[in-house]
Amino acid sequence: MTLKEYVKDRTVFLLMNFILFIIIGGIMILVRMNVQTVFLIFCIWFFPLFIYMLIEYFKQKIFYDELTSIMDDLDQKYLLPEVMKEPETVEGKALYEALRQANKDMHEHVKSYRDRENEYREYIETWIHEIKTPIASTRLIIENNQNGVTRNIKEEIKKIEEYIEQVLYYSRSNNVSKDYLIKEVPLADLVRSVIRRNSRDFISKGISIDLEKVEGIVFSDTKWLEFILNQLIGNAIKYNRERDGKVIIHTVRNENNIVLTIEDNGIGIPEKDIHRVFEKGFTGENGRQFGKSTGIGLYLCKKLADRLGLGLTITSKAGEGTKVSIIFPLTNVNFMQ
Amino acid sequence: MSKIVIIEDTETIREELKTFLITYGFEAIAPTNFENIIQETLNEAPDLILLDINLPIFDGYYICREIRKQSDVPIIVVTSRDNEMDELMSMNLGADDFVTKPYNTQILLARIETILRRVQGSSMRDTLVYNDLKLNLSNGSVTYKGEKAELTKNEIKILSCLYKNKGKIVSRDDLMDFMWNADVFVDDNNLSVNVTRLRKKLEALGMEKNIETRRGLGYILP
Repeated sequence: MTLKEYVKDRTVFLLMNFILFIIIGGIMILVRMNVQTVFLIFCIWFFPLFIYMLIEYFKQKIFYDELTSIMDDLDQKYLLPEVMKEPETVEGKALYEALRQANKDMHEHVKSYRDRENEYREYIETWIHEIKTPIASTRLIIENNQNGVTRNIKEEIKKIEEYIEQVLYYSRSNNVSKDYLIKEVPLADLVRSVIRRNSRDFISKGISIDLEKVEGIVFSDTKWLEFILNQLIGNAIKYNRERDGKVIIHTVRNENNIVLTIEDNGIGIPEKDIHRVFEKGFTGENGRQFGKSTGIGLYLCKKLADRLGLGLTITSKAGEGTKVSIIFPLTNVNFMQ
Repeated sequence: MSKIVIIEDTETIREELKTFLITYGFEAIAPTNFENIIQETLNEAPDLILLDINLPIFDGYYICREIRKQSDVPIIVVTSRDNEMDELMSMNLGADDFVTKPYNTQILLARIETILRRVQGSSMRDTLVYNDLKLNLSNGSVTYKGEKAELTKNEIKILSCLYKNKGKIVSRDDLMDFMWNADVFVDDNNLSVNVTRLRKKLEALGMEKNIETRRGLGYILP
């Protein structure tokens, strides 16, 4: 607040005083009063008025300046009423009270949404556990009655499982801290286990795989990593070519990190799409052509990788293949050792 | 024959799991009454226990702890809970392994076999015998009427898969599946080459009737 703004705010008040003085001064001059006396009255009138206004200006300026500086420093702006000093003026108090009320109401509002979201998440998670039982039964029934039909059902069940897993990780992605456990993860074991999970697709599409140069141990959560890797390898299979498909997985150890790269020689991603693949719901040209993309897989991978403190990068050339890298920082390892 | 007790409250899973294990040559017992489950299980003196976590009356953790107090029988916890804490807790209570639902049955089978092999000593289960052919899994060799030959990892896998399905045709896909599940990621050509090589090795030992190819169907150990 500048002095100009303050004066401008009180134009009416000042104008009234001036008009009043001009009228009174006019009358006094009309009754032939001495000009000095009129000036004296002017001083007696306006000197205390200006002093008063100046004091008030500084008082308000201090108050509002403090308020803005608190506001600027505050990370969560809605905490302002908790942090600010309670003002002494009547208007100030009213403002403060209003602010508090509004804030309180907003908190309740937010809380009701948060509760609702938690409830929903809990429900989803319970539902996922429930649904696993009939799926497990179905799998066993298929296993005990193997023929062409059940073999096809088994493939479909596998897809259902993948989608269910996606839901689970989606609902968990906002609070990783609740259920993760950091431990030593040998990358070779992790990669092999994901390859095993996808063996059917590799075999049926005739995609060859090369994992000779996978080595290294990182510290992370196995389950989450496995989910991310499964999505990436699933993509490498899905967007591969009909024949001579190839997936190469290798690790490179740098000074500060280990980079795990999954490379395929599939259809690749058009350049205009590549920057958006981590966006939620983005399917791009390939997604539309294949007609099965939900635009959630890579989005989730990115989100989970962020939560786990891992880097995730993607490069691709349309028609030549795609390269996805997970970057595991090594500083954590040293820290934990 | 190894005896396995299945402690599981979902009827379909219980019954199907029982059928599945019986198909693979185990003696399977699936109690349906959970009131006295601990004593009942111990009375059966099983070789291995498959234990669910969410159960009526007592949960799996309790049962696991109680059984451990009286017996060292291997326990595999099978559950739909899948976070690391559950796994950690099961292991701390003395479970030997942890498989999450919905499980890949072949993986479950492999885990069961691994644990049984460890518990029952390796000698018995490491040698597969087919007619006069002996396959020694621990040192990767085959013996036929006194003649001995060394096999590669891939050849061992192929032979053991055919052995497990002896008398039945194993499709190339199933064979590949088996090998991939054992972390041998062979491709189509590779498989043919390996089978041919294996067949030659067996012939060199003097075994004339060995792996046969059924065109369009797969391989068989007659």
